[in-house]
Amino acid sequence: MKRRLAAFAIGLLIAAAPLAGAAEIHLDQIFNSIKQAFTPASQDEEIAIGRDAAATLLGASKPIDDAPVQKYVNKVGLWIALQSDRPDLPWHFAVVDSDDIDAFAAPGGYVFLTRGLLLHLHNEAELAGVLGHEISHVVLKHHLNALQKGARMDLAGQAAQVGMEAKGYNSDLDNQLMDKVSSATRTLYSKGLDKDDELDADRMGVVLAARAGYDPYGLLAVLQTLEATDPHSSSMQLLMATHPAPADRIAVLSEAMAAGNFDRFGGQAEAQERFEGVVKGLIAAAKKDKEAPASKK
Amino acid sequence: MTRWFSLAMLLLVLGALHAAATSTAQTVVAGNLVSGPHSDASVVAAVPNGAAVTVIERQGGWYHVRTTTGQDGWLPMTSIRYDATSSGAAAPGTDWASLFNSGRSGSGGTTASTGVRGLNTGDIANAKPDPAAVAELEDWAAKPGQAKDFAADVPLTAKPKIGYLAKVKP
Repeated sequence: MKRRLAAFAIGLLIAAAPLAGAAEIHLDQIFNSIKQAFTPASQDEEIAIGRDAAATLLGASKPIDDAPVQKYVNKVGLWIALQSDRPDLPWHFAVVDSDDIDAFAAPGGYVFLTRGLLLHLHNEAELAGVLGHEISHVVLKHHLNALQKGARMDLAGQAAQVGMEAKGYNSDLDNQLMDKVSSATRTLYSKGLDKDDELDADRMGVVLAARAGYDPYGLLAVLQTLEATDPHSSSMQLLMATHPAPADRIAVLSEAMAAGNFDRFGGQAEAQERFEGVVKGLIAAAKKDKEAPASKK
Repeated sequence: MTRWFSLAMLLLVLGALHAAATSTAQTVVAGNLVSGPHSDASVVAAVPNGAAVTVIERQGGWYHVRTTTGQDGWLPMTSIRYDATSSGAAAPGTDWASLFNSGRSGSGGTTASTGVRGLNTGDIANAKPDPAAVAELEDWAAKPGQAKDFAADVPLTAKPKIGYLAKVKP
């Protein structure tokens, strides 16, 4: 598949080249950029791409200013990530300042969930389900691959356009590629991944939660909460625009769990008390903030 | 003084909500109400599709429910669907979102329109990168040793041998 895409892009170039006049197109440069777009990113490159994607996401919604809550989600998250095939990534977790319901992952180990989603959970096993799903996106490189694919498509189109315009080609295609990846981030996170990526992340997420010692049915419980929430409400807009319907996810995930005899793990920990303690702290801190507003907010 | 009073009030409210933490649902398939949260438990009663139930608690893949005729037992979790709500407080347990918002609005009401922060597709599509916010994440990051101690507190026992789930054909 990758090869076919590469052949397509190169084919476009070859078709376009005679129109442009070989001297004016820096063919070497274009071939190098295409090669780069088709080479799997190294882990360092993945982390760098992820940092840019994370910066864009946090630009839309900042982390909440509550260190106990942030440290808590980092410990839960890292404990689950340690059960994955990529335990050594620099994992970072954060709760972001939105009352809407959603969670995100970015390449290289960034995982964010909204305060709105956190406040719709009931125990740590449910949180583990959500974080396990997001960690799985990172482990399976869903966003990384989608961002690279977006960059490749842009590059192919661009190369053809450069040829068709038959004008002198003088800008640095490598820099253009970087810009394309950054704008691809905004497009990808407002449109979402392929449906199959989401279903795969559900299936891996419950395994990671079970390996971490949690009741793996937490994710199904969260999906049932989402299923009962008005899909047209503003708090669900982003989630519904970027994910399959909760009912579809429940149907697919529950069948896979039944086939895997996950009933065996139904008695594992929910860690409800610890979760409730943290959430009560979050609510008490918000109430205190309201009574004595900070000088700038 | 007032701080202690409001804390006490908050705890009272939390307690009250927690006590009344059941929720209503409907069955989405016909099936058997059984005596415990496992598939070989004895049958208590047959339940038709579309029956209203009150959900008391969840244990693994099972819900402890009560039917409108007062029968008590367990159903597989995917055999019910919670009744629709606008707040999302469908599942049994505390409605933290309402508590957070009533604390924030200060009016005692559950509709807190002031200060509610949204995040929609447009916000993402128009986001300006904030690299400083990414750098700040380091302050909260955990180390593997901390995560392991944290797991041991529950305790959570790692089961690394649990295999990945196969894709099930629809």
